[in-house]
Amino acid sequence: MFSYIVRKLLYAVPVIWGVVTIVFILMAIVPGDPARLMMGQRGDPETLARIRADLGLDLPIHKQYVRFLKDLVKGDLGISYRNNEKVVDALLTRFKATLKLAFWAMVLASVLGILAGIVSAVKQYSIFDYSAMFIAISGISAPVFWVGLLLLLIFAYTLHLIPGVGYVPGDWRYYVLPVITLGVRPAALIARLTRSCMLEVLTQDYIRTARAKGLHERIVVMRHALKNALIPVVTIVGTQVAELLSGAVLTETIFAWPGVGRLAVEALIARDFPMIRGTVIFMAIIFLVANLIVDISYGFIDPRIRYD
Amino acid sequence: MRKLFGLFLVLAVCLPMVFGVHQAMSQEPKYGGVLRWREVSDPPKLDPAMSTDTTSSRNVYLMFDMLVENDPDGKSIVPRLAESWEAGHDGKSWTFHLRKGVKFHKEALGKPTENGGREVKAQDWKYSFERLIKINSPRAYFIDMVKGYQDFVDGKADEWVGIKVVDDYTLQFELDYPFSPFLSVLAYNTFVVVPKEDAEKWGKEFNFHPVGTGAFILERWDHDQRLVYKKNPDYWKKDKEGRQLPYLDSVEILIIPDNTIAYEEFKKGNIDVLPAPPDEYYEEIKATYSHMLQERPELGTYYYGFNNSKPPFKDNLKLRQAFNYAVDREAINELVIHGRYYPAKGVLPPGMPGYNPDLKGYEYNPEKAKQLLAESGYPDGITVDFNVNNDPRHTLISEAIQAQLKDLGININIKVLDWGVHLDLCERGETEMFRMGWVADYADPDNFLYVLLHSSNHGSRGNYSFYSNPKVDELLATARVETDWDERMKLYQEAEQMIVDDAPWLFLFHYTTSLLAQERLKNVHLPAFGDYSTPLDTVWIEE
Amino acid sequence: MTKKSKIGGLWYEAWLRFKRNKLALVGLIMAISIIVIAIFAPLIVPYDPFEQLIWKEGKEARLAPPSLKHLMGTDIYGRDILSRIIYGARISLQIGIFASIVSLIIGVPLGAMAGYIGGVVDDLISWLINVVFAFPFLLFVLAVIAVFQSPSLRIVYIAIGLVNWVGIARVVRAQFMSLRDREFVEAAKALGLPRRKIIFKHILPNAIAPVIVQATLGMGGIIMTEAGLAFLGFGAQPPTPSWGLMISEGQKYLSIGKWWWAIFPGLAIMYTVLAFNFLGDGLRDALDVRLKR
Repeated sequence: MFSYIVRKLLYAVPVIWGVVTIVFILMAIVPGDPARLMMGQRGDPETLARIRADLGLDLPIHKQYVRFLKDLVKGDLGISYRNNEKVVDALLTRFKATLKLAFWAMVLASVLGILAGIVSAVKQYSIFDYSAMFIAISGISAPVFWVGLLLLLIFAYTLHLIPGVGYVPGDWRYYVLPVITLGVRPAALIARLTRSCMLEVLTQDYIRTARAKGLHERIVVMRHALKNALIPVVTIVGTQVAELLSGAVLTETIFAWPGVGRLAVEALIARDFPMIRGTVIFMAIIFLVANLIVDISYGFIDPRIRYD
Repeated sequence: MRKLFGLFLVLAVCLPMVFGVHQAMSQEPKYGGVLRWREVSDPPKLDPAMSTDTTSSRNVYLMFDMLVENDPDGKSIVPRLAESWEAGHDGKSWTFHLRKGVKFHKEALGKPTENGGREVKAQDWKYSFERLIKINSPRAYFIDMVKGYQDFVDGKADEWVGIKVVDDYTLQFELDYPFSPFLSVLAYNTFVVVPKEDAEKWGKEFNFHPVGTGAFILERWDHDQRLVYKKNPDYWKKDKEGRQLPYLDSVEILIIPDNTIAYEEFKKGNIDVLPAPPDEYYEEIKATYSHMLQERPELGTYYYGFNNSKPPFKDNLKLRQAFNYAVDREAINELVIHGRYYPAKGVLPPGMPGYNPDLKGYEYNPEKAKQLLAESGYPDGITVDFNVNNDPRHTLISEAIQAQLKDLGININIKVLDWGVHLDLCERGETEMFRMGWVADYADPDNFLYVLLHSSNHGSRGNYSFYSNPKVDELLATARVETDWDERMKLYQEAEQMIVDDAPWLFLFHYTTSLLAQERLKNVHLPAFGDYSTPLDTVWIEE
Repeated sequence: MTKKSKIGGLWYEAWLRFKRNKLALVGLIMAISIIVIAIFAPLIVPYDPFEQLIWKEGKEARLAPPSLKHLMGTDIYGRDILSRIIYGARISLQIGIFASIVSLIIGVPLGAMAGYIGGVVDDLISWLINVVFAFPFLLFVLAVIAVFQSPSLRIVYIAIGLVNWVGIARVVRAQFMSLRDREFVEAAKALGLPRRKIIFKHILPNAIAPVIVQATLGMGGIIMTEAGLAFLGFGAQPPTPSWGLMISEGQKYLSIGKWWWAIFPGLAIMYTVLAFNFLGDGLRDALDVRLKR
């Protein structure tokens, strides 16, 4: 088990290096000079040259790359071009906001999804089953930003139950809509997957045997089917967490949520290279870590899987 | 006896009336209270040397002071930290007499400052100006005509020789050439005085620990939530009756990205000033809250530039004029922008010195447009690429104009770009037609006409339309060094008419600035430069 | 039984299975309806989707609520929203199809090489796939779009395709890996058939099924991605009636109760994505079982 984890971590390193290099190359070929943008609309070529030198942008690209890698290994992600904030600080602050959103969204999604999936499986072909699955597939098919707008229209602008968008820590009303918006898609995926896994297992031989033994049906369902259905569900939860954490860009944009996703887009528009590189690397790492955790938890849930 | 009684009666009735009227006429400002001002996003730069956006400027104006400032109508320069000044006869030197007793902030962000609240001297001004170059302020070059600029920049000199400290309260500037707008330029919010001790202590982090001389001291900054300022008890300014300013105890800048929330909070009374009220609510505001609304033309112009250095617009006057006759500015303003802009005939906005209300411009005349189009060599129409940056209002207007032009057979391909790419393409001249706006840095026609239309400023210096007319160049260059004000204005007006006749742009609109202020706020005066420069040091709250 | 008829028979069986799946049929009908709408758009639209009626009819035409005259209302220029939604089908399908093609062009060969050749080639390609996967998707597409200075529909679907290919590649790779050790491939190798023939004539037809499923399900994702890009301002250019762009332009007016501009296009997106999801699900159920044999 331990060696498995170590191997996976080692394998992640070249992937992260790949991400780092790609983002670096992209920023090098993207038009738009961050120093120029910092100057606002009026530009003086001389001042521009000095600012570029100050930021290290006048060095040949391979030298910039080496400097960047050296800093990265030290854990220094640099300083934002826009407001001189340390990238690491900005990321940690914004990540807190994203984390809160993602956490509650996954809680909502998991609870709703698993429950709906179980009930649908147990009561297969019932009205509940059909409606739940229809809602689920609609949830997957609706664009997330549109769902957010729709919820805003109904609950904020028409019913006035929610004041609006923004982030006010401690005020739960600002959490409700973005959490639901972000949670719809994972909930739908989890519901569908739970249902199909449950169905698969419910027809297994040993379930039939257990029933023959006269155990109460509910216990049969719960203990045996659920445990086996959990594996793929954990996969989905894991990958969804990875997706959510690595940038719920659109949701954060609509709800003016100061999270990492929105930070990344703002940084891209401002050509804030250190921030862009920092957010991309950060999100990639989160993604890989989340996936790694999913892989590891396989081992605990499914004793059939061996690690060598 | 009766007479006395009668006199007494008259007095008894009249005197209170007289006093009452006097009272009503000169309402006593009350001290105290918090003013809550809304902004859409967190200011990126509170270091005045680096702030180039309006949100940052809003905050800078609270904490810092310049030598001089614009009067609210933008028509003249009035003293601020300089009490008086003289220009040398040749226009190449300016001497400023500094106000005495101006103190730096004693504390900031709840902690005492390094300078300890000491007095500002001429030496501090020289330090502040030199600092601009040392930390690569993007606006330092506004005053590159001060002697010794280049040497100091290149490191050849270890001081900026053109800035002289004559004595503790006298500051002198020597220029390389007579630059008439110099005084106006000094009113720009980069040219403030900062304390050496704190600036050196914090270095790049001065951004997060600003210390100045202004009416308000930064007490707390909760990023993306609010900035809290408290009054500066040692503020140098007093009101007309000699009372200490500011009246307010505190100012809070609230960061509220959502327009709906901001508007609702304003209606509930939780926000005191709502600058730039959002379009969606504009009609409701005009109907219900017009007594709280202040609007005025802002010193800014919105235009679509033609690239005059390339076909199809190069050397094709008739084509450019055709475009100008083809757009119904009034209708677009009315229907799409809710009437919030001013249709423009030329370059200079109303309120700018030199603005010519009798300027001969282009009116909406589709027949003439068609005719000119045919005469220009495109009787069957033309297709042009049009670049615009990604902003809802800009794309909104561009789609409307696209439809109007289409009626005449002119097809514009709208390309929505992000700002970085847009600016890049405009500067390199890789455009055919593009959208641009320009807001005054200082209240002088030089800032518009010279920067945007003189041939020495092609490309990144501001002349994105690559316009070049030697006659205009000459007029503008002469006006730059001419010392007689009226003569200068005449030259600018002549130049502007020539420019309009040449139609290097599709002239569209001038900006307006607006804000909503609660009735209980007194002395809120929206200035021509924009809501972000509204002075708050003379505002008071009546409960 | 010859190989050809065996495969032919399997396809036919899959089709029978597909027919029985109600949801799949619904998806097929929905997808066909969208294609039909897209093709015959100019004939169906009640108004010119680009005509701005405010210049003729004034303020009344601006942001008019749904009525008999304009079934889905009008936008701020007085353009009929229903007409724009109909034309929008063209945009969505165009992007979906071309971005899918780009994804396939990149993803299939890379996946095949990784799966069939294995070894270092597989390691390299798998590494590349993992890197692209780890990269935040939307950002990647935005950055690619920014690199091309001239935004257009073509740039959008190339950018999407350049990032989206990894899903296809993974599926193809998995298929090739599992198929290359199968009996009929061993047989072909034993017969001395050239590698290219083995790949194209024997493995590929068997590998196609999951690729079709992936591509179909991917259509929905691509359409939603374009909508998201347009929403952020980096997708189709105005005045193109892209559904995402319409949502973006209309959102300002939700707070004053003028909801139709932003809401109807979202329903259109949902309908389209649903169609491809049903279709894709159905195809998967029909074809997957076939493979298990």
